[in-house]
Amino acid sequence: MSIYALIPALPLAAFVVLALGGRRLDGASHRIGVPAVAASFGLSIAALFEVARSGPVAVPLYRFVATGDFVIDIGLHVDQLAVLLLPLVTGVSFIVHVYSARYMIGDPRYRRFFAVMALFTFAMALLVTSNNLLVTYMCWELMGICSYLLISHWAQRPAAGRAATKAFLVNAVADVGLGFGVVLTFATYGTLDIQEILAQASAMSGQSIEVLGLAIERNTLITLCLLSGAMGKSAQVPMHVWLPFAMEAPTPVSALIHAATMVNAGPFLLVRMSPLVMLAPPAMVVIAIIGAVTALFGALVALTQSDIKKLLAFSTISQIGFMIFACGVGAFSAAVFHLLAHGFLKGFLFLSTGTALEAATGHAHGEESVPASRLRPLAVGALLLTCVPVIVVFSGPYEQLWTAQQVPSAGIAFWVVAVVTIFLTAVYAFRAIVSLFGAGVGSFVTALPRLSSRHHLPAVAVVSIAVAALLVGAWSWLGAFLAPALGGGIREAGSVTLSPLLVVPLAAAVAGWALAYARHLRPAAVPFGQREWVKSAYVHFLNRLYFDELHDACAVRPTLRLSRWLWRGLDLRWVDRTVLGTARGTRVLAESLHRLLERKVVDPTVHAVATVTVRLARWLWSAIDVRRVDAAVERGGRLAADVGAALRGFEPRTMRQNLWIVVYLLVAAIGISYWFTL
Amino acid sequence: MMPLLTDHLVSLLIAVPFLGIAAILLARGDEWARRIALLSSLVGFGLSLTLWWQFDPAQPGMQFVERANWLPTFNIQYAVGVDGISVLLVLLTALLTPLCVLASWRAITAKVRAFMSLILLVEGAMIVVFTAMDLFLFFMLWEITMIPMYFMIVLWGGPRRIVAGLKFVLFSLTGSLLLLAGILGLYLHAGHTFDMQVLTVAASQIAPDAQQWIFVALFLGFAIKLPMIPFHSWLPDAHSEAPTAGSVILAGVLLKMGGYGFLRICVPMLPEAAVEFSPYILWLSVAAILYGGCLALAQSDLKKLVAYSSISHMGFVTLGIFAFNQQGVQGSVLQMFNHGITTGALFLAVGLLYDRTHRRMISDYGGLHKPMPRFVVFLSIFSVASFGLPGTANFVGEFLVLVGTSYESMLLVLLAMGGIVLAAAYMLWMLQRVMLGQTTERSALLPDLSPREILTLAPLAIIVFVFGVYPGPLVELMANSVSELIASAQAFLPLG
Repeated sequence: MSIYALIPALPLAAFVVLALGGRRLDGASHRIGVPAVAASFGLSIAALFEVARSGPVAVPLYRFVATGDFVIDIGLHVDQLAVLLLPLVTGVSFIVHVYSARYMIGDPRYRRFFAVMALFTFAMALLVTSNNLLVTYMCWELMGICSYLLISHWAQRPAAGRAATKAFLVNAVADVGLGFGVVLTFATYGTLDIQEILAQASAMSGQSIEVLGLAIERNTLITLCLLSGAMGKSAQVPMHVWLPFAMEAPTPVSALIHAATMVNAGPFLLVRMSPLVMLAPPAMVVIAIIGAVTALFGALVALTQSDIKKLLAFSTISQIGFMIFACGVGAFSAAVFHLLAHGFLKGFLFLSTGTALEAATGHAHGEESVPASRLRPLAVGALLLTCVPVIVVFSGPYEQLWTAQQVPSAGIAFWVVAVVTIFLTAVYAFRAIVSLFGAGVGSFVTALPRLSSRHHLPAVAVVSIAVAALLVGAWSWLGAFLAPALGGGIREAGSVTLSPLLVVPLAAAVAGWALAYARHLRPAAVPFGQREWVKSAYVHFLNRLYFDELHDACAVRPTLRLSRWLWRGLDLRWVDRTVLGTARGTRVLAESLHRLLERKVVDPTVHAVATVTVRLARWLWSAIDVRRVDAAVERGGRLAADVGAALRGFEPRTMRQNLWIVVYLLVAAIGISYWFTL
Repeated sequence: MMPLLTDHLVSLLIAVPFLGIAAILLARGDEWARRIALLSSLVGFGLSLTLWWQFDPAQPGMQFVERANWLPTFNIQYAVGVDGISVLLVLLTALLTPLCVLASWRAITAKVRAFMSLILLVEGAMIVVFTAMDLFLFFMLWEITMIPMYFMIVLWGGPRRIVAGLKFVLFSLTGSLLLLAGILGLYLHAGHTFDMQVLTVAASQIAPDAQQWIFVALFLGFAIKLPMIPFHSWLPDAHSEAPTAGSVILAGVLLKMGGYGFLRICVPMLPEAAVEFSPYILWLSVAAILYGGCLALAQSDLKKLVAYSSISHMGFVTLGIFAFNQQGVQGSVLQMFNHGITTGALFLAVGLLYDRTHRRMISDYGGLHKPMPRFVVFLSIFSVASFGLPGTANFVGEFLVLVGTSYESMLLVLLAMGGIVLAAAYMLWMLQRVMLGQTTERSALLPDLSPREILTLAPLAIIVFVFGVYPGPLVELMANSVSELIASAQAFLPLG
């Protein structure tokens, strides 16, 4: 079954070849990247059919590390969830690769670009198939560095460097949560194997851990940690700030980040761990709130943005927020469905945008303006983007779920958030298309009333119903298909109903389109009216509610200031100076000791001793009769001279004589001392 | 030949650098000195690979043991042998030395013979420290490592080399004094022997209050070398003023002697005191991780940045060791090895820049991606490895330490992770300022790496990735040794 391992391995191999390949590969880099990812895509499709036919497959690979009871066996777990996401990841990546082969032509860092794209694809493919939280975490971080490398692709732009660093660091902060969650999971379950954890999860519910004196259920804390990681990668408020800046990357990268990799990781992780998440209702509430806030915030900001790429970025933020929100209310398969739909659509939107921008800025190869033929699929894409969540999230029996969780009011919140998001999405999606294809849009806009005229109404109705039926069919198939991968805790499986309430969100979408259309026909000097509160709200949302400035003021600058203060104020001034002070103190001490001892103690003592000695000598001089002593000395001297003359004969010449002299002296010394001691 | 190789492998490893020094002193001319130094360090590396190859990780205890009486009056022996941890650190030493020789090939032009001899002298001394089974031998060579380092800093160093050298020596001497006091304490209290194996059994019987002061003395001695805060202030100066090879040896291997001392002496010989003091040490370690990270963030000097990052990374080493469990300690040893590789590589890389411009400030560079694409690749690899990006070897070490710490306190885990974010911040910010952005006029003319320079960096990059994806061999190598070393300490751990 190692054929499954090829799905992530092929992009990895492409990366290795490109990274080590040297200059020879420069122009032909896409010839390695594209086939590898294409093959990977083909295998993903095959895996989808294989798993649909015969269930999930486990592919053990190798033992990563084993110390004590910390054992990590790397392997793949290819289940329904993985095979649904693999075609999205590899497929979008394949399209992006093909697209970039032309888009990036002539780029000085062509090879590096394709190498990192392949690595990015590998990381995401391994992430969705990983059977182990540690591997998940590793892929998670790997995607972070890939995004860093791709955002800083045009390195000569200072903004690109700043955006890249920002993206990685925001993610790094969020990933502290995820990493902590992984450690906590090991501390709780004693394993990091995802399937084992999910199997044991219900047995662990009720176990709590003390955090700063507060007892929190372990499963809840783990879920919150997972959420923290998801907030970073999936750009949820307040960790969303990196995504708009990530637009510094070449446009195909944006397509990859927004559609296939990176931002999808968050919802994926929550869905992957869904049986655990379901056991943590408080955490689910937090997830739902974060998701809802992000969905609304992203949509509102998208309304105000004038840069098409920024608009798309905030649209992604909003849509991913919606997926997280869906996870928070337990609609996991809805989240997956929306993820798939959004992934393909966003990839498509970004690539069309890239082409359009190339055309607009004039460095395109060929067409000067966007033909209308490009417009229609795009418009349909935008339309679908606004409608998909409608059909998905309103067709599951979630009321049941909320009643089971004893929060039936969540249903109302869900409805409100969903409807408002749909409405806003419709508005900005329309605006985006209009502003993007300003010239070509005319035909489309004029086509709209014609479509809704009496002649076409039946056809439109039929097509709409067909599309809706198709989507609902796909959705109900997906729900049933995904159910085993989500574990037993989910009750949404296979029971899709077309509720009459579906009319409400559909009406919201239509209203959004209508409003945007009306605005387009009568462009006002000030968008969104003249009222004061609207204007100020517009300004606030245009500035993205000042999150960037907030991060800067609350996190970045204080950290830098603290660091500088720690260095100059604490380390150099106190720690270092203490050491230097000790050294200097020692020297000063030594000098003062020198002075003290020499001048005050030693000198006077020596002086005193000398004085006493001199005085004693004088006294002796006066006391003893000098002349007699003199005579004695003279006699002694003569005697010594005689002895010396006598001894000269005995001058020791041999070793033995020397030894004898020593022995005599020793005997004499012993005798004298003996005599004295007596 | 074969029995000589297998029976006296460790002694041979020790002898090779000293033979190299003798040859250099006899050699004529600088070029020969370089070649001999490279050759003997490569032979040393080959022997250390043989040692790794021949070492049997399944067997308990020390292997390749050699004993000879030295000063029998005081029970002092020449006793060397290796266990898994020693093998790893010897390997690290023997790997970095040839790279240091290569890095000083053109950078050192004055007194080449002396410089090469000093490199080999440090190598030999450090190998003895990592293999000694006799405390006296350990201490003596521990002292000897200081002398060549001092001269390297003072004779070939940067502008503030005199102050830096003096600081280094003063700190080292203070540490040595405390270490000596501790070692004598062990000697006197545990049956007048310096034999580490005997001491490991005998010393744990010492009365608790005696254990405490001996532990404190030894701990301070090792903590100064490691260095832990607040004894770190010698490190930034010494690292940044030393010549490239000196910085690499200092950061790459010399610091590890401190961690090795904790593992080999403090923990197994004085388990009760170690467990008693461990809460304070754990907090001190986390403080070092965060404090070092913050200081690194504030630096505008490339070498100082790497130096302060060392303080932060060595915090992980002590954090893991004093968690007293398999994961933590193995993570620490891995962290020592990996830090040696990546920080050594970072100093090498910064040294390559310094050779070109003789400037160390971050603001002196900018937009290096254009003139030096190869260099930028290596610098990026080692920078991201340094903050523990998954897929690089450092991640495995840091993660194991965190898992080990989780048995003690989750709060410590969280704080230590904050240190990783700081590490990512200072490294990426440095990268952004050095290699991204508009190419400055001064940087535009810098030549890219030469083949010799690539040769110094490429092996380290390969190691970083290979052990990042497949750390199994390193982890297995020391599994048994680690569990032996911490067994006695684990007995004193409070239950639960």
